[in-house]
Amino acid sequence: MKKAKEVTGHTQKTTSWGKSLPAASAYQWKAVDPAEKGKSLTLYGICGQCMQSDCTTLIHLEDGVVVSVEGNPTSPPNYGSLCPRGNSQIMNLYNPYRVKTPLVRTNPEKGLDVDPMWKEVSWDEALNIIVEKFKKIREKDPRGLLILEGFGNTNSILRDSFARAFGTPNVIGSHGPLCTIHYASCLVHSALPEAVAEMEYCEYLLSFGRSLGPNFATTGGIRRFTKAMERGMKLVVIDPHCSVEASKGEWIPIRPGSDLACLLAMAHVMLNEGLPYDEWFMKNRTNAPYLINSEGNYYRDPATGKPMIWDAADNCARTFDSEFKDIAMNGTYTVNGVACRTAFDLIREEFARYTPEWAEKICTVPAKTIRRLATEFVEHAKIGSTIKIDDFVFPFRPASVNTHRGVNCHRGGTYADLTGKIMNMLVGNIEVPGGCLGNSMRGPLMAPDKDGIVKPQFEADPFPFKFPPDNIDGHEFYPNKHTTPHLAINAIMNPEKYHIGYKIEAWLNFGGNVIRKNAQPERYVEAMKKVPFIVSFAYHIDEPTILADVVLPEHSAMERSLVSVLYPSHQTTGGEVIGFDTVRVRQPVPNLFDTRHCDDIYTEIAERVGFLCGAGGVYDYLNQQKHHALIDDGFYLGNQKLDINRKHSLDEIYDRQMKSWSRGDGRGLEELNKDGFFLHPRSRKEYYTYYFFPENKTRHPFYFESLKKTGETLRANLRMHNLKFPGIENEEYIWEQYRPIPCWIENSEINAPPEYDLWVVNWKSPYCPHDSGNPNGNPWLAELYQQDPFDFTIFLNSATAKKKGLKDRDWITVESRYGKTEGIMRVTELIHPDAVGIPGSYGLGTIQSNPIFREGTHFNALLSLDDKTLDAIAAGQELSPRVKVYKSEAKR
Amino acid sequence: MRYGMAIDLKRCVGCNSCTMVCRMENGTPPGILYNRVEKYEIGKYPAARMQFRPIPCMHCQEPACLKVCPTGATYQRDDGIVLIDHEKCMGCRYCVLACPYEARQFLGKIDNYFGPETITPWETVKHQELDKGTTVKCTFCVRRLERGREPACVETCPAQARYFGDLDDPESEVSKIIAFQGGTVLKEELGTRPSVYYVNV
Repeated sequence: MKKAKEVTGHTQKTTSWGKSLPAASAYQWKAVDPAEKGKSLTLYGICGQCMQSDCTTLIHLEDGVVVSVEGNPTSPPNYGSLCPRGNSQIMNLYNPYRVKTPLVRTNPEKGLDVDPMWKEVSWDEALNIIVEKFKKIREKDPRGLLILEGFGNTNSILRDSFARAFGTPNVIGSHGPLCTIHYASCLVHSALPEAVAEMEYCEYLLSFGRSLGPNFATTGGIRRFTKAMERGMKLVVIDPHCSVEASKGEWIPIRPGSDLACLLAMAHVMLNEGLPYDEWFMKNRTNAPYLINSEGNYYRDPATGKPMIWDAADNCARTFDSEFKDIAMNGTYTVNGVACRTAFDLIREEFARYTPEWAEKICTVPAKTIRRLATEFVEHAKIGSTIKIDDFVFPFRPASVNTHRGVNCHRGGTYADLTGKIMNMLVGNIEVPGGCLGNSMRGPLMAPDKDGIVKPQFEADPFPFKFPPDNIDGHEFYPNKHTTPHLAINAIMNPEKYHIGYKIEAWLNFGGNVIRKNAQPERYVEAMKKVPFIVSFAYHIDEPTILADVVLPEHSAMERSLVSVLYPSHQTTGGEVIGFDTVRVRQPVPNLFDTRHCDDIYTEIAERVGFLCGAGGVYDYLNQQKHHALIDDGFYLGNQKLDINRKHSLDEIYDRQMKSWSRGDGRGLEELNKDGFFLHPRSRKEYYTYYFFPENKTRHPFYFESLKKTGETLRANLRMHNLKFPGIENEEYIWEQYRPIPCWIENSEINAPPEYDLWVVNWKSPYCPHDSGNPNGNPWLAELYQQDPFDFTIFLNSATAKKKGLKDRDWITVESRYGKTEGIMRVTELIHPDAVGIPGSYGLGTIQSNPIFREGTHFNALLSLDDKTLDAIAAGQELSPRVKVYKSEAKR
Repeated sequence: MRYGMAIDLKRCVGCNSCTMVCRMENGTPPGILYNRVEKYEIGKYPAARMQFRPIPCMHCQEPACLKVCPTGATYQRDDGIVLIDHEKCMGCRYCVLACPYEARQFLGKIDNYFGPETITPWETVKHQELDKGTTVKCTFCVRRLERGREPACVETCPAQARYFGDLDDPESEVSKIIAFQGGTVLKEELGTRPSVYYVNV
């Protein structure tokens, strides 16, 4: 047995937090309050140990000390189970490296290895410093405040209103550019944040570049996965790495970053090699039969402006919303003298070149396998079958292809995502049982626009072009972007290049760590050092916080009150997490240190600066809450609006949210505190959004006309303002990604110099999938990840290692054209020979972090901020740069 | 009545939830884990995969540890659970060597998670239950059993891969799983007769 290695290095060598502060490792905990002696208490909890923050818990205290946390046995989504992070969350609470009191920097020099020489101050003093700066910025130009957020701040209900009331448009999410998975799902079926498979009915799942639950040990994901596999679901995992999920299903190794080729070829097989497709769905629920003119636009009826379809029985074109005897999927027709072709024909023709033999050369998946998987996918989809859910008859299509960040985060990645949708549409599985579904928001989302197509919403709805830009997030140039800290940082470093005519004067960091978790960390440090004033709502002294001027310590998850509605799904859905709506409460553990709730901090700052109350204040915006992530099916004060002229407690706001909730029964926080959660049954048929626009009541885009239009609009806007696209020499490089039919796109790494002979690939660690809940710094998890043979190491295929003369346990450097990192190597069979595998995100850290943060391999250091490497649509970053590996000396 | 466990290796995804909940339940210090999950890779590329095997104490019917214990500290209850009386244990560690499943560890020192100079309130509470200088191991969570609960690892497992109950009752869920799915034990040839079975090996 491998003995558990003792985790070393927990004693900080030197620290100088301030004369009155002891070193973190010598922290003396407060004695238990004598009033708590002999008391046993159980609190209702909501776990905060991953980005989802949705499992419910029971927190047990004895004598005022949290002694155990268990899953709430009857509450969804976890029904009593917890993941390894949920089970170790006590060490998130009792972490001596936490910030315990507000801090102010006294050393003007900044750096990850530079002691800020913190001075401990009172909340009043810290807030006044911030308020003074914020008042000036708000008066001069509120755009000067950049708020950097991430998954760590999702428990805040005021964050969006605070930004709006302050008047800054610059809210930048750290958590997006390596996970641009939204555009295609938003466009095709108004699904946000993403599309997933349903574990209750799916019989065949093609999982590309993603996880379903077990890979990163999510409680709900594992629960649903286990049941689906036992039911006999066939799982095919296309992944450079043989993950946990690949180990349970069929593993199809693929070269990193080449999934677009594989998907184009699979769609080719479905379109051009005689496989059946769902004719009814394609004719009645997509724009595949729409007539397209020679410019590639819809041919429009001169009388009504509507797109048209050819009726093959009556030999004439009719508007799409007419009655048809026989909708033509194929053919060239002349309408009012205009030559038109069906969109379906155009797409088939375009895909004819993407043969499996062509794809095999690029992605290394054998042509035979590509054909087999496409054929199996169609067979298992059971085209034409139906299923009754409650009293409603749905099409039943128990096959789904789901792509995610491993596929999408490359130049051309949006086309890969859209090609997956093409495959799904050909079998008619969109938003029906067994098929490809959105997660989280449900309801009548797929209303058609004037052309009869699902109206583009959320990230499929392009941002308007404003010049000069107000927003530093680059949305003028990437109108369908996801989150863009990389563009913001590029703009801070080079405002002229990105057409930014103002300066960022302050950076409020809360809930995200762009320095460690994005790319080229040294550039992020450089950019942040350019900002005159940085505030961090901090849990510990992480990379952004050590660069801060003022640090405000916020509650850890267990100490943070919360009322939330469950988004049921994430990586998968179905079964025990649908058929109801539920609201639950987190009753806070008394805070250990002089920390505050993030929303109390926001309230205080807003009040002192002068935008909490009154018209245009925080409460006014909260009353008008529109942010999709905060609405939760009507959890937004509906008929319980706040009096905008006085201050409100969080509990009061939660109570009103509950009482106005359209899914609730009018009960409020007082009752919720008794039971912990409320469960309201809901007909299961409402989960599948097909239900709200069935039959021929809406159509999904199969020919991506709106993508083409967005590109044309962008091009016209650039010309109108005489602008070059920032960072791009030849604009065709951008326009070729705005075509209505996906095509092959070379990503930035395909033509890298041959010395970079491998592709790096990252996957989530089951111990540390995100920074939410500080798993990297949790000593229980660290004890496991440091000794796990499949974590905290660099994977290299055995044949590749042999060729390079590298041996198991060698210390190696991995170097891309953008950065380098290092660590211990593992020789393995579990990875593609062309890949270097680096799980998790370890390494970097600061001189005031838990020293364990400095250990491990820092994958993100290999990635790039260069505009030329991005996907033009979603601004996703290149997730698998080409690298070289070589033996090196361990510096530590 | 004989307590036993069945672990379904097809369900197990190697997440180590069981290891962490066991740590929380028992307050074990760094380096001491009553449950571990062994991970392997088998096969050659591209026909390779990972496998996982969680290993608690086997609570053997013929425990090798009991045979070598010089003080009688290690004892077996009527319900099959093998326990250590920490008052009697003198820390000779014969049992640690004797156990073929490496289920036992000697608690020679009690380190803190965050270094020698700081001990968390949780550790302050849990250390009261630890006997330095004795040998420690999985107890099938006897205190939870007394309260009508199951072992923590069984209850927390998200894959619901563990079953627990009376192996002497052929109608119990755990007995049925072992019978119908062909449960096997580790190192059967040693004759220790473990009470922990593995199915879908």
